[in-house]
Order: sequence, then C-alpha cells, then structure tokens
Amino acid sequence: MSEHAHEHSHHITPISTLVKTLLLLGVLMVTTIAWAQIAPSALKDVPPALASLINNLIAMGIAFIKAVAVIMIFMGVKYQSSIVKLYAALGFLWFTLMFIMFADYGTRHWEAVRGWTPGVKQMAMPRADEPYEEGMPPRKDIKIPDEHH
Amino acid sequence: MTTHVATDEKNYLQEGHTLASWLLTKDHKRIAVLYLISVSFFFFVGSIAAMMVRLELTSPRGTLMSNETYNKAFSAHGVVMVFFFLVVAIPAIFGNFLIPMQIGARDLAFPRLNLLSWYFYMAGGIMFLIAMMSGGVDAGWTFYTPMSSIYSNGQITLALVGAFVVGFSSIFTGVNFIATIHKMRAPGMTWWRLPLFVWGHYATSLIVILGTPVVAITLLLVVFERVAKIGIFSPELGGDPVLFQHMFWFYSHPAVYIMVLPGMAVISEIMACFSRNKVFGYHFVALSSLGIAALSFIVWGHHMFVSSQSMYQGIFFSFTSFLVAVPSAIKVFNWSLTMYKGSVWLASPMIYALGFLGLFTVGGMTGLYLASVGTDVHVTGTYFVVAHFHYVMVGGTLLAFLGALHFWWPKFFGRMYPEGVAKWNALLVFIGFNLTFLPQFVVGWLGMPRRYHYYYFAPEFQVYHVMSTLGASALAVSLIVPAFYLTYSLFKGPKSPPNPWAARGLEWEAAASPPIKHNFHGVPVVVGDVYDYDAEAEELALRGMTKEEA
Amino acid sequence: MISLKKMNQPQDTVYEQFEDLAQQQETYVLGMWSFLVTEVMFFGVMFMSYIVYRWKYQPYFYALHKELDWRIGGINTAILLASSFSVALAVHYHQKKKKMNVLMCLGFTNLCAISFIVIKLLFEYIPKWNHGHYPGPGFSWDNPYVPSHIAQLWFSLYFGTTGLHGLHVLIGVILFSVLMYLIAVDHPSISDYLPTEMLGLYWHFVDIVWIFLYPLYYLMPK
Ligand code: HEM
Ligand SMILES: [Cu+2]
Repeated sequence: MSEHAHEHSHHITPISTLVKTLLLLGVLMVTTIAWAQIAPSALKDVPPALASLINNLIAMGIAFIKAVAVIMIFMGVKYQSSIVKLYAALGFLWFTLMFIMFADYGTRHWEAVRGWTPGVKQMAMPRADEPYEEGMPPRKDIKIPDEHH
Repeated sequence: MTTHVATDEKNYLQEGHTLASWLLTKDHKRIAVLYLISVSFFFFVGSIAAMMVRLELTSPRGTLMSNETYNKAFSAHGVVMVFFFLVVAIPAIFGNFLIPMQIGARDLAFPRLNLLSWYFYMAGGIMFLIAMMSGGVDAGWTFYTPMSSIYSNGQITLALVGAFVVGFSSIFTGVNFIATIHKMRAPGMTWWRLPLFVWGHYATSLIVILGTPVVAITLLLVVFERVAKIGIFSPELGGDPVLFQHMFWFYSHPAVYIMVLPGMAVISEIMACFSRNKVFGYHFVALSSLGIAALSFIVWGHHMFVSSQSMYQGIFFSFTSFLVAVPSAIKVFNWSLTMYKGSVWLASPMIYALGFLGLFTVGGMTGLYLASVGTDVHVTGTYFVVAHFHYVMVGGTLLAFLGALHFWWPKFFGRMYPEGVAKWNALLVFIGFNLTFLPQFVVGWLGMPRRYHYYYFAPEFQVYHVMSTLGASALAVSLIVPAFYLTYSLFKGPKSPPNPWAARGLEWEAAASPPIKHNFHGVPVVVGDVYDYDAEAEELALRGMTKEEA
Repeated sequence: MISLKKMNQPQDTVYEQFEDLAQQQETYVLGMWSFLVTEVMFFGVMFMSYIVYRWKYQPYFYALHKELDWRIGGINTAILLASSFSVALAVHYHQKKKKMNVLMCLGFTNLCAISFIVIKLLFEYIPKWNHGHYPGPGFSWDNPYVPSHIAQLWFSLYFGTTGLHGLHVLIGVILFSVLMYLIAVDHPSISDYLPTEMLGLYWHFVDIVWIFLYPLYYLMPK
C-alpha cells in the first residue's frame, strides 16, 4: 500500500542505549531534587519574581528534557516515521493553546469594576475597584465578613 | 479504478442473520448499521423533548409544565441532540461505512475498537436515559458550574458520567479513522486523490482526539465535585467557575465543527455527483477542513463574552472568530461554483444539499453578528443565538445527514426508495425548518430570552412562537415520512443497480451495492483522479454524440 | 507443553484488514500515538487548572507544597523511571523473542507499579485522610498562614491530579498482569511484540505525566 512500500524491518533499540537513557534520567532527577533543596538559600538575594522565574525554568526545563528522552528513546519515536513524530508532538503543542486563558486571567484586573467586592472568601480572579469620582452614583459598599466568623 | 463486481455473491447483510452476528460483528458496515438504528432512536428521543419545549412556548404564561420540567425538557433536548445525535451521526454511520470503502480498504484499522465504541455509545446513552427518567437534568447541555455542581437537582452525576462515556466512544472512532486514513489507503490513493468526504472526516477526527478529552475530564471534575468534594471550580474554595467555561468551550466550540465538518464532507460528495462536475477548488476545500480544525481551537471565548471573562480577551476572541468564518466561506463558495457549468440534477440528495448551502450560510453569517462583541452583548442569551445554532446544526448537519441517507441508502441496503415522495419531502423539510427558526431570529432580536418557559412580560412575542411551533410540527412530519418510506423500501423497494447515481469513487465504482464483506475483490488500484465527472460529455451523450463529433 | 524459554505462539499473524505485517505494525503505533494525544489533553486540563491557581495563589501554594514529602515523591519518581526502563527492555527482548526475559521485565515493571500505588496509599493518601486533609466538610486545617478554603482547593488539585494518575497506574497493573498471563500461556493473540510495545507506550506516558507532576507539586511551587 502507498505509504509503506519500503519494507523496513523494525528497529531494535540496543540495551546500551536504554541504559544510558536511564542513567540520564536518574541524573536529571537528582539534579532537579538537589536544586529544589538549595534553591531557597541560593536565591535568597534575588528578587522573588526573578527567583520564581529561575525556579520554574530549571524545574520545567529538566522535566522537559526528561520527557523528550523518554519519548525519543524509550518510546522509540526517534526511530519512527515522521507522521508518528508529528502525532507525538501534537498533544503537547495543542496543550499550549490553553494558555490563551491567560489573556483573560492576566487582564481581568485591568478592568476596574465599581464597588467590586472580592466576595466572602476572596474570589479567585479579582478585579480592581474603580476609584470614586465626583458625580458618580454612590456605590454600595458590602462589608466583607471575617474569614473566621 | 475498476475491479470486477460479482453480484451473485453474499453481501455483508447476508453474512449471518442471528442477533449475535450483529452484536458481535467486527464489520465496519454492520457497525454502521447498528449506529444508524441507535442514533435514530436517540434522535427520536431528542425530538420528543423538542416538541415539549415548542408546545410550552405557544402560550406566554407557561401553562403546560412547571419551570423545572421545562428546564429538564430543554436540557434533555440539548444533551441528546448534541452528544447522542449531532456529534455521532454522520461520522459513526456514514464515516464508518464509507471511509474504508472510499480509500479502498477492507475494514477500519481497529475493528474491535470500532465495535467497542458502539458499546460505549450505548452505555453512555442508557445512562443518560436512566438519568432522564429518574429525576432528569436541568442544567442545560452546557452544564455550567456552579449550577451543575452545587445547585442543580436531579441526576446530574449520572448524566455527566454518561456524557463522559459517550465521549470515549467518539475518541475511539477518531483514533480509528486517523490510523485508517493514514495507513490503509489502496495503492495509488494519494492524499490529493482522497474524496473530500475523507478529508472532512480526517479533520473531524483531529478535533475529536484533541478536544473531546478536555470536555470529558472537565465533566468528570464536576462529577468529582458532586460526589467527592474535589472542588476545582468551586467559588467556595476560591476556585473560579469561569474556568469551567474556559475548559468546556475549549472543546465545545471545536465540537460545533465536529458536528458540521462531516456534514460539509457529505455535501462535497453530493454536490460533485449531482452537478456532474469536479468539486471546484478541490485543494482549497480539502485544506479548509484542516484550517477549520486548527482555527476552531482559538475562538472558544466568543461564548463567554458576558461571563466575567475580561474584555481584552473578548476582543481577541472576537477577532479570531471572524477568522474562522473564512475557511467556512471558502467551502460555500466552492460548492456554489461546483454547480457552475455542471449539469445539475435535482434528485432528493441534491435538494438537501442545496438546502444545506442556503441554511448554513444564514447560520454562519449570523454567527458573525454574534462574534462581534458589541452586538453579542445585546443578543446573547436570546432566541437569536438559538436560531443561529439551529441554522448551522439543523440546517447544516441534519440536512446533510438526510442528504447522505438518501444518497447512500442504495449503497447501504441495495434498495431504492420512492424518489418522488423523497423530493417533496426534502422541500417540506426546508420549509418546515425555516418556519421554525426564522421567527426565532426576530423574536430573539426583540429580546426573547432563551431557556425561559414563559414570556408574559411580552405577550406580543406569542405570534412568533406559534409560527415556530407550527414549523416544528411540519418539520416533525417531514422527519416521520422518510422513516416510513425508507423502512418500506427495505422490504418492498425496487432493487437498486450497483451505482444508481452513476457516481464516481471507489465505493460506487469498485464495489457492489450492498457491498460484500471485504468490500472489494482483491485490492483496488487507483489510477484516475477523484471526481472525474464530465458534465459536457454526459450531456452530449444524451444527444447521442461524443465530444469529438460535437 | 508451555515452555518458558521461547515463544511458542503462531508468529506474526497479520489481521485480515491489513496487507502485511509492516503495515499492521505501523498502523498500531500510529493508532496508539493518536490515543496518547487524547491522554495528553486529558491531563492537560489538570495541569492547566493547577497553573491557573498557582499563578493566582502563589504564596499559599508555596506554603502548601510543604505538606508533601519530596522524599516519598522522589522514591516514586525513581520507581516509575525504573519501570519505564524495564518495560522498554521488555519490548527489546520481545523483539528478540526471549520469552523468559520478557516475562521478567514485565514482572519487574508490574512490581514497580504496585509499589508505587502502595507507597502512595500508605505514606500519602491515608495519612492525609487521617489528618483531615481531604477537602470537604470534614476538612481540618490549622496553618494560620493559609486560609482553609485555599488549602482545600490545593488538596482538590492534588487529589484530583494524582488520583487520575494513580488510576492510570492501576489500569497499567491490570493490563500488565493480563499481558504477562497471555504471554506465559502462549496465547494466539500475542503473535508479535506489538502488544508489549503498545502497553509500553501507555506506560511511558504514565511516567511522563509523573515527570511533570513531581516537580510541580513536590518541589518548586514558587
Ligand atoms: C461562521 C462561523 C461561526 C461563528 C463566527 C459563530 C459564532 C458564534 C457565537 C459568537 C456564539 C455565541 C453566542 C452567544 O452565546 O452569545 C455562537 C453560539 C453557538 N454556535 Fe456558532 N458560530 C459559527 C458557526 C457555528 C457552527 C458551524 C455551529 C454548529 C454546527 C455553531 C454552533 C453554535 C452553538 C451550538 C452555539 C450555542 C451554544 C450555547 O450557548 O448553547 N456555530 N456561535
Ligand atoms: Cu462557538
């Protein structure tokens, strides 16, 4: 049939490659754990936002490399046809589309809402309270009860 | 493109007559027939609920049922029609039957998975039926939290599990189609020789495998919240209920294309055959399916313009929604041009296809009204939206479904139905449909909210609602009539020739009607182009001439 | 007589819908991968929910992640990595048709899977449940720095995500047991290495989920 005229015998991944991959995964695992242990003291003097960025990049970068190693070697995608490679990437690519959500969550606080109250228990995604200006109708302040009432 | 067709052989329908030979079959054609029967049943259930809704709305005071019963009626209608009819009907019946035949394969790649998907469909369906009988569901087909997770009465949990299970049924079908289309094509069947029916289903399957799991897990999280207090969308715990809407529409906008792409796939086939012409801009139509599949994932927020989604995101989604109209329009223009210089033959499938063309266009255009944030804020939650999506889903998918049913009926069962009745009936569908939903645009624009069981605040709306209910009754008649004449034709209809429409494509040219178990004798080899109709030669042939002579 | 040394199944059956073995194998691999695409999206929702809320409640999430013991999570990570390796090895041996080796590798994998679940239950789920750290009306919370409802949200995410992952591990245990049985008795449905390869793909995916889950929940919510 059309796409597999080339009769290729299946690839057998040598044990040495598998072992090397396992070692790589082990080393990466130890690295990410070790970093998590020393990070709080190592990043003491770094501004929190930057520290958080560094932390995330390191942890997720290592996880990403580990995932690629598993996919490529253990799952054998390296030795598969390009259509399998495409499908192996597809789900991960499509997942990133969900980040469009942050165009919502990241901008909600730009829109101030008059008399905004964050709710009894603090709502997930608050908006800013619009400052009162002359001539605006009086706003209805709602008293926020205490958490432990 | 030819293999010898022997007609005296056992066809797939004769390969066993016991119940077990049907319930345990692995033949894609038999599974398609199983789906045909069960999908028709669910369509019937959904229609009953629709009639309840329509009857209730004939009076402004809501006299027939309580508001709770009304909520349950429209929820049942929405859930059954969306999850058990529209998403499933064309792929699982016609896709199942035709994709292997159109690409020259003996079966789908995973026949057992195919059968399993039917069982999942039935299991999900039965769960939902039980939920409906034993308390009902009143949260609408969208199951918004916290309505569905905290406040709703009735059997939401069971209904959600049913929807989850039926989601896996579509995933299995999608996986099957993808593997089949990639790996099982006959020699010579290149991608650019694939019928557009196959292209459409490939795009649909992509959406299914990328989107369906998202809604499945989202619904499951609501189940978790109801039974195990895992409150990810719960505002009580500082969660954001709008996150549910994000996740839900991440699937459910693409899902509207799961519903309509297979319909478009059908229309391409019918247009080509009954215009006796190549589909105009074949490559564009094929690629626009993939374009729709990709774009449909970045427009979901247009359903959330008035949720607490931020205005900036609204603007983004408004813009992308306009983009998604482009590939849809490409298709509509290309189908119209397919008829140009063709030789249009107004058989019943073609009448449905022409109906599709007009109604889908109206539906799509009104979609653009709704995609404009400013307009949508005015009409969202009104009957205008209801009319919009019925124009695309009923005017689009249902008409394509009926067209496909009439086009491939002889292929399925080897019998012809009374064409005269079928033609008039197709016209009645068109009229009944417009009478039902055109007034809804008007009344929606005037401010009639959807999901209300009365409108005593505006009794002047009654005339529109009565028109709509009358139209719905006509529509109901026009759906019962085919049920009768098609069933009749199974037993008494004249035997059809192998290719009654003189259509092109492996399923018509290289296989018997009904096909044999393995579809073809041997493996067909494809040499010609797809849709090699020649309207000119055919018209000349009617006058007894060849092209050279003329 | 069933021998453990070599495979006695009818070799390399091609099902009737396929032309040849190569086509059949490629189709199965592609089919499995398209199924894994759905699995990625499936867990994608759980990760996305986590990302949204961690972004929103970052300081709380930092305090909350200390509720989890990174050592136990680390042990489970190592267990899953090892099992991933051994299942890749099983495929290797199956391709070479060394039955005993396949069974041993699969057995080791299954053992890992089971210990993963046992560790998770004994050292995480059950103690948390006993402490009342399960979301719901019975939730008991005494950390003054983190509001109780946010803690419940966090535990919801934790139980939801690891629970779904654990469910996948459990399904893996069942499937591995069935596969080992079928291989051991030379069942005709195991005509080539593809069943092992398919299950292997599934199992590696379960591992990949954990590869992301572990740092996100146990190590670095800052
Ligand atoms: C031209 C492309 C389209 C655009 C721009 C579009 C736009 C929209 C918008 C903006 C809404 C939200 C209205 C509101 O709730 O305020 C909507 C609703 C809807 N559309 Fe479309 N649409 C298009 C095509 C389709 C198609 C092809 C289908 C189905 C086959 C469809 C099915 C639906 C459904 C089911 C709803 C209502 C969902 C609900 O709230 O229950 N649309 N559409
Ligand atoms: Cu939409």
